[in-house]
Amino acid sequence: MQPHLKRAFTLLALVIIAFIFVRALVVPASFGQYGWYRGDSVEDTRNRPVEYAGSISCGEENCHKIIYSVWAKDRHKTVNCETCHGPSEKHVGNVRIMPPPANDSRDFCGLCHFKRAARPANFPQIDPETHNKLKCTYCHSPHKPWFI
Amino acid sequence: MMENLIWGYIYPNEAEIQWSILIVLYPYITGLVAGAFIASSLYHVFGKKEVKPVARFALLTALSFLLVAMMPLLAHLGHPERGIEIMFTPHLTSAMSGFGYIYSFYLIVVVLEIWLSFREDIVKLALNSKGWKELLYSALALFSYDISEKALHDDEKLAKKLAIIGIPSAAFLHGYVGFIFGGIKANPWWSTPLMPLIFLMSAIVSGIALLILLYIASMKLRKHAIDHKCLQSLAHYLWIFLILDVVLELLEIISMKYESLEEIEIINRLLSEKIAFTFYGVQLTMGIFIPFILLLLAGIMKNRQTLKMIMISVSSILVVIGVFAMRWNVVIGGQEISKSLSGTLTYVPVFFSREGVLPAIIILVIPFIILRVVTYILPPWKDMEEESE
Repeated sequence: MQPHLKRAFTLLALVIIAFIFVRALVVPASFGQYGWYRGDSVEDTRNRPVEYAGSISCGEENCHKIIYSVWAKDRHKTVNCETCHGPSEKHVGNVRIMPPPANDSRDFCGLCHFKRAARPANFPQIDPETHNKLKCTYCHSPHKPWFI
Repeated sequence: MMENLIWGYIYPNEAEIQWSILIVLYPYITGLVAGAFIASSLYHVFGKKEVKPVARFALLTALSFLLVAMMPLLAHLGHPERGIEIMFTPHLTSAMSGFGYIYSFYLIVVVLEIWLSFREDIVKLALNSKGWKELLYSALALFSYDISEKALHDDEKLAKKLAIIGIPSAAFLHGYVGFIFGGIKANPWWSTPLMPLIFLMSAIVSGIALLILLYIASMKLRKHAIDHKCLQSLAHYLWIFLILDVVLELLEIISMKYESLEEIEIINRLLSEKIAFTFYGVQLTMGIFIPFILLLLAGIMKNRQTLKMIMISVSSILVVIGVFAMRWNVVIGGQEISKSLSGTLTYVPVFFSREGVLPAIIILVIPFIILRVVTYILPPWKDMEEESE
C-alpha cells in the first residue's frame, strides 16, 4: 500500500479509536443497569428532598379544615392545594416557614381555562379576548369556582 | 382562530403540528447530498466521460450539504450538544438511532473520495506555496508528497472502489430517511414500503438539478464557456430519473386509490383540500410535468445551445422547487390528517421563531457558503474549464 494511503487509514483508525475512547469516558458506568438510562439516576431521584406535602396534610390537625372541606366538595377537588399555593412540605413541618403566595394571575387560571381547540367542548373555557378582563378570582372563588 | 384551522374530529395532542418546516428541510438537504454524490459517481464508477467536468465539483457539493444535513434536526430538537448521544447510546428499537452511524460512515466515504480525487492538486499546491498555505496543504496531503504515476493510479483504483461503496451508502442514507417516514404505521399517508424508493429517486433528481444550476452559475460567475456536452448529459440523466421518480410517486397514489382502504376518505380530503396546490400544482405539474417536457424538447432539439441551456436551467429550478414541495407534502401533509382519520389540521408557518422560516432559510444558505469556502481551498475549476475548450 502507498505510504500516503497508509497515513490516511491510520488517521481514520485514530479517529475511530478516539470515538470509542470518548464514548467509554462519557457514557456513565451505570448506563443500562435497569434499562436504556443511567441506573444511578434512580438513586439520585430518590435522594432529592421532598417538596410537596399533599392536600390531605392541609386539612389535618385543624389548620385549614374549613377551607379544605369547602374545596373537597367542589369541582376543583381534583386540583391539589399545592397546585396554586406552591410546594408546602417545609410549611407542614414548621408553620413559621410560609409557602410562596398563591398564584392568582389570569394566565395561571388560563393554563386550564383559556379556550383551546384540543379541549373537550364541555370543559369550562373562556376566550381571554372577550371574557371580562378582571382577575379571575375577583368573581370566581378558586375553592368553589361557581360561587360567584 | 384555531377553530378555522381544524375540521372534523382530532385528538387533543394533534392540535399543534410538531414537525415544522425544519423537518421538511432535513430530507430535502440529505436528498441533495445523495443526488450530488450519485451524479459524481456517474463519472467515477460508470465512467461517463461527459460528466467529468462536474464530477469533482459534485463531490464538493455533496460534502457542503452533508455538513449541514443534521442541522435542521438539531435546531428543531434544541440542545445540539446532546446530538452526539444518538451515537453514544443508540436505542436499537428506534429507526432514528442508525442516523449517526450511517451519516458518519457516509461522511468518511465522501471525505476520502474528495481527498483521493484532489490529492494531486493538493500536493502540487503544497509544493508551490509558502507560509500558512503551505502548512494547510501539506497537512491536507498528510505530509506525503508522492504523486508518481503509480501512486496516482493506486489512488484512482481506491477512489473507484470507494465510489462503489459510496453509491449504496448514499442510497442507504437517503432511503433510510424515507424509511423513517415509511415506517410510521399509524399514519396512512406515510406508511408505505415505497417511501424509501420515492425519497431516493426524488433525492437523485433534486441533486442532479442542483448540480446543473451550480455548474451554470459558477461558469457564469467565472465568465467561462459552458461545456454543453456535459450539460446535455446531466439533463439526460435528470430526465431519466424524473421518469422513475414520477412513476413511483404516482404508483403510491394510484395503489392507495385503487385499494381504497378505510383511510381513503381522509387521503382524498388531504389531496383535494389541504395540499391540492402543493401536490398537484407544485410537485406534479411544476416540479415534474413541465421539466419533463422541457428536458424532452432540449434533448431532441439540434443546435440552439443558448435556448437549450435556458430550458435546462428553468427545468432544474422547477425540479428543485418541486422536490421541496414533495418533502413538504410528505412531512406537513402527513401531519395535517388526524390519526382519527376523520379530521384535518392546518400548519401555519411562522417566520421569526426557532422553528420558523427564517432559521430554515439560514440553514439552507449555509451549504452554499461552505461550498464557496471549500472550492476556494480545493478549486475544482480546472477540469470544469479545460474540457470546454
